[in-house]
Amino acid sequence: MLEAFLASTIAMATPILLAALGELIVERSGVLNIGIEGAMLAGAFFGLTATWFSGSLALGLLASCAAAVAFNALLAVLAVNLAVNQVVAGTAIDILALGLTGVFYRRFFGLTGSAFTITPMRTIALGPLARIPLIGTALFDQSALVYLAFALVPSIAFVISHTRYGLELRAAGERPEAADALGLGVYRLRWQALMIAGVLSGLAGAFLTLTYTNTFIEGISAGRGYVALSVVIVGRWNAWGVAAASLLFGAAMALQFGLQAVGTAVPYQFFLALPYVLTIVVLAFMGGQADAPSALGSPYLRS
Amino acid sequence: MNARIAAAARPLAALVLAAAIISLVLIALGASPVAVAADLWQGAFGNWLATTDTLVKATPLVFTGLAIAIAFQGSLWNIGADGQLIIGAMAAGALGTALGGWPHPLAIIAMLTAGAAGGASWGGLAGWLRARREVNEVISTIMLNFVAAQVLSWAVHGPLMEPSHALPQSVVIAPSAQLAFYFEPSRLNLGMTVALLFTVVCHLGLFHSAAGFELRALGRNRRASAFFGIPIRRLTVLAMALSGALAGLGGAVQVSAITHRLFETMSPGWGYEAIAVALVARLNPLAIVPAAIVFGALDNGSQAMQRADAVSPVLVNVIQGMVIMILIAFDAMATTGMRTALFGLAGDARPSADAVAGAGDA
Amino acid sequence: MLEAAAITRRFARTLALDRVDFCARPGEIHALIGENGAGKSTLINIFAGRLKADAGVVSLDGEPLAAGSAHLALKAGIVAVYQSPMLFERLSWEENLALGGFGAGVSRNDLAAAAQCAQPLAARLGFDLPPPGTPVERCSIGERVRLEILRALSFDPRVLILDEPTGVLAPAELGAFLELLRRLRGEGRIVILVTHKLAEAMAVADRVTVLRRGRVAAERLAANTDEAELARLMIGEITVPASTSAAPLAALGDRATPALTVEQVTLDCDGRRALDRLDFTLSMGEIVGLAGVDGNGQRELVELLAGRRAPTSGRVRVRAHGGAITVIPQDRDLDGLILDMPLWENLMLARPLRDRFTRRGWLQRSGAVAFCGELLERFRIRSAGAASTAASLSGGNRQRLAVARALAGAPQVLVAHDVCRGLDLRAMADVHRMLREFAAAGGAVLLISSDLDELLALSTRLLVICRGRVLALPADDCGSERIGLLAERIGLLMSGAAS
Repeated sequence: MLEAFLASTIAMATPILLAALGELIVERSGVLNIGIEGAMLAGAFFGLTATWFSGSLALGLLASCAAAVAFNALLAVLAVNLAVNQVVAGTAIDILALGLTGVFYRRFFGLTGSAFTITPMRTIALGPLARIPLIGTALFDQSALVYLAFALVPSIAFVISHTRYGLELRAAGERPEAADALGLGVYRLRWQALMIAGVLSGLAGAFLTLTYTNTFIEGISAGRGYVALSVVIVGRWNAWGVAAASLLFGAAMALQFGLQAVGTAVPYQFFLALPYVLTIVVLAFMGGQADAPSALGSPYLRS
Repeated sequence: MNARIAAAARPLAALVLAAAIISLVLIALGASPVAVAADLWQGAFGNWLATTDTLVKATPLVFTGLAIAIAFQGSLWNIGADGQLIIGAMAAGALGTALGGWPHPLAIIAMLTAGAAGGASWGGLAGWLRARREVNEVISTIMLNFVAAQVLSWAVHGPLMEPSHALPQSVVIAPSAQLAFYFEPSRLNLGMTVALLFTVVCHLGLFHSAAGFELRALGRNRRASAFFGIPIRRLTVLAMALSGALAGLGGAVQVSAITHRLFETMSPGWGYEAIAVALVARLNPLAIVPAAIVFGALDNGSQAMQRADAVSPVLVNVIQGMVIMILIAFDAMATTGMRTALFGLAGDARPSADAVAGAGDA
Repeated sequence: MLEAAAITRRFARTLALDRVDFCARPGEIHALIGENGAGKSTLINIFAGRLKADAGVVSLDGEPLAAGSAHLALKAGIVAVYQSPMLFERLSWEENLALGGFGAGVSRNDLAAAAQCAQPLAARLGFDLPPPGTPVERCSIGERVRLEILRALSFDPRVLILDEPTGVLAPAELGAFLELLRRLRGEGRIVILVTHKLAEAMAVADRVTVLRRGRVAAERLAANTDEAELARLMIGEITVPASTSAAPLAALGDRATPALTVEQVTLDCDGRRALDRLDFTLSMGEIVGLAGVDGNGQRELVELLAGRRAPTSGRVRVRAHGGAITVIPQDRDLDGLILDMPLWENLMLARPLRDRFTRRGWLQRSGAVAFCGELLERFRIRSAGAASTAASLSGGNRQRLAVARALAGAPQVLVAHDVCRGLDLRAMADVHRMLREFAAAGGAVLLISSDLDELLALSTRLLVICRGRVLALPADDCGSERIGLLAERIGLLMSGAAS
């Protein structure tokens, strides 16, 4: 029971973590990308489509990343080069992605889409580690994407705080005019951050359709992108905090299945709503913007 | 003056460009843009019935469009109009079943009040979270959308469910609480009139009242507003509550006039569509009505499009997203000041290079 | 040698620079002077690559510079230090320096190494470095300016441009700063000093270029000119003496009716003591000057008087019916005006005016617009009408509007914070006149500024604020014959040297 819950938690946390890590990098560079939800959804859909048509999971992963990167590129043009209002631009991306994936989905697979399934990615058991009682399968018998996600946490933490690149990124997020005056190239840094985040969002979306759910439902991302935004805030804009917060929200989502299986008198809608309510509650206590990069969300136009 | 005309023409240009891009998408889908356009038009304005239905479909967009416009004027990013509409609809839908013996006008007023109150509480909650706990309202309102959907689902499966328990829907509201259609079989009803009334109220409030002035000041320059003692926190909560109330009114009107009961889904995404509507209207309440009619026409026409061209009505989402992006891109390109990128006040805006040139220099 | 030929630059309808020629030689301190609005900042921004010229070429040692790229200018050896420090406040000072020349080419963010590179340079310049790991936001203004200069020097620049650097330095630090400039000159670098302070320019420069309205009015060898001539060249036909004769610093005597009393006010915020037992009184008809270098508590005092903050202890009393204190904020573009809004709506920001033109919650638009028109005329504010946006006004006119708005509310007490910063002499004269008239009519003014000339010219009484404490000057120091000594005394007080 505990094992299943733990495994579920980690599985649920992974797409959020991947997306949130990408958003962390982007927000450190000063851009508020509300469009993660759209990028993730696009990744989920186009990854599945590519796998379905080609039979290759690898191609599917590639397609996921490409689709999400494309959407992030659209946001980059708007938010970085044209310096528009980032919230509105991101929301537009979400609406667009919902529409595009819906239109293509229904066009090619009709309303039921029951044939739109694939053989999902298998989990990879990490040898003897997977045999540890209680936590073995939960922690060490997961999809490759899970290992990747958690391996990225220390790597990204290191890059942001201990490399020159990370320093330049943070400078762009603190005071873009000063960074440009020093020749750091704010537009370049922000574009790069968005592209990296695109890959990560794509992988997050791919996780949704290529691993435990091997099909596509419209709106499958179900707000995970927005949860990822909260995770960055609650994690106080650092990678370790993001990891912890992702696990927290993953647990809330896992609770849905766990408690439903147990069968309580509490209506199932409560569990479906739980992650969203939790997000609000946690933000209410930890939502302060004090640690946010100073220039976050401010449109910046290089003259 | 030239700049003003250019600014007003941008929404039109954005719609045209969006149409051009959508055509490409349609071709990629194997559909004919011309056929789709014709079917859209036919579905929206082809005959008297279609036209009135367009107006009916535009009505919730007017309410949510006003909601967005009010909030955005204060730089409060209310993405939660859907959730606020749902809660308003629920309040009205629940109350409506108990209004059996009431005189019609009172029943309607009660419905609308319930809707407004429901929406106001949902919006006000997000406003309070922003004002008191610094919670980013984009996230909180979107989260509340999801929560509202679940609350509605629970209600129609549970406490409000109709007695036969056959379908997830609520009891039909009392006839006195229902808005009648003017000319059957067209569905035109008092709802649009109420919407127009609130359009005028919003316009007057926004541009002719002291509170509206404070809201607009807050939206344009928070620091200066704080400096001059504008009560930012109180204004945030009130504006979000008002915004929610307008969305909630839309929900109440829907229940009262069209659905007469609650279903699992009460909004096909009007709260998001309203963002496109509000931006096309440049956040001006008076322009919301024509903008809502345009998008209502698209919504209405898309049903015909689906039947005739096998293109999913979800295409309108693509149109909405595209229109928003094109519009804000146009505004940003036409002006050089970054603060004016969204509001598109051209001509007199300082070029951004001024910020580089330093204080006092021309 | 840095040469600029026929540089031209427009901003929308304004011609900021009109065929400007400029030349600075190595081993030279070249002062670039002019009124605000003359184009000095625009010109140096073009040199530093932050702006592109519409026409004309800038070349360094004969090589034309790529336009519009700060990065390339940096590579060519041109570094600029701007009026407000361009440091990253949340990052530590080592990180800030590492982003300068000290960290270049190193992929690992080695902060200790950056600090080590900075040490010898700082020692040579007589700078003390802050404790390791301190974020810049916790450094004082003086430290920030020094860090900025260090960072600029870390690039080993051939051309160092300094834009009004002395504004935030205490008078005592000025000497050391000018010494530094001389040392840099000795190393064969080009130093361009942008300033509107003629005395400083004359003290240290070898050559002076005067800009007026976007054109080069003159170029002189410092040895061949004096402040008076420079002032004439800066302004044009109207002659304003370089050193204004101070208004008599006479005490008001017993006809003083107190308008504002600050009683033992202490304010703690952000974990430190911003104001420490302030105690002073403002009387009707007085203009009390509060002299001080930026960052010594003025901002907090202004916020306190504006009602935005409550004192930790002590109180502020306004002893006049109505009890209105109106504040003119330091940063007019960010705090004072909403640039996107029309002028008449900007007037409505002021509570008294808004109340006057609001009836039962509804704005009396036509009344407000008409009133705005009157105000624009009365105070000679050049604009495109009451419905035009604040953004369309020049800096000087914006400040005139801000002052007019403050006065139109008929306050008892006016607090003006850096009211003439960034204004050209004509606008400054206008604003000074408005303040004098207000005081003559019985109002009380608290004039907070770091500009000693302005304070001496306007104030009837002088106070000095330093590290949150306000110090008054003994009455017998206020005689006009001893202005020179007085200025020195004030300067010392401002830098905290004497108690």
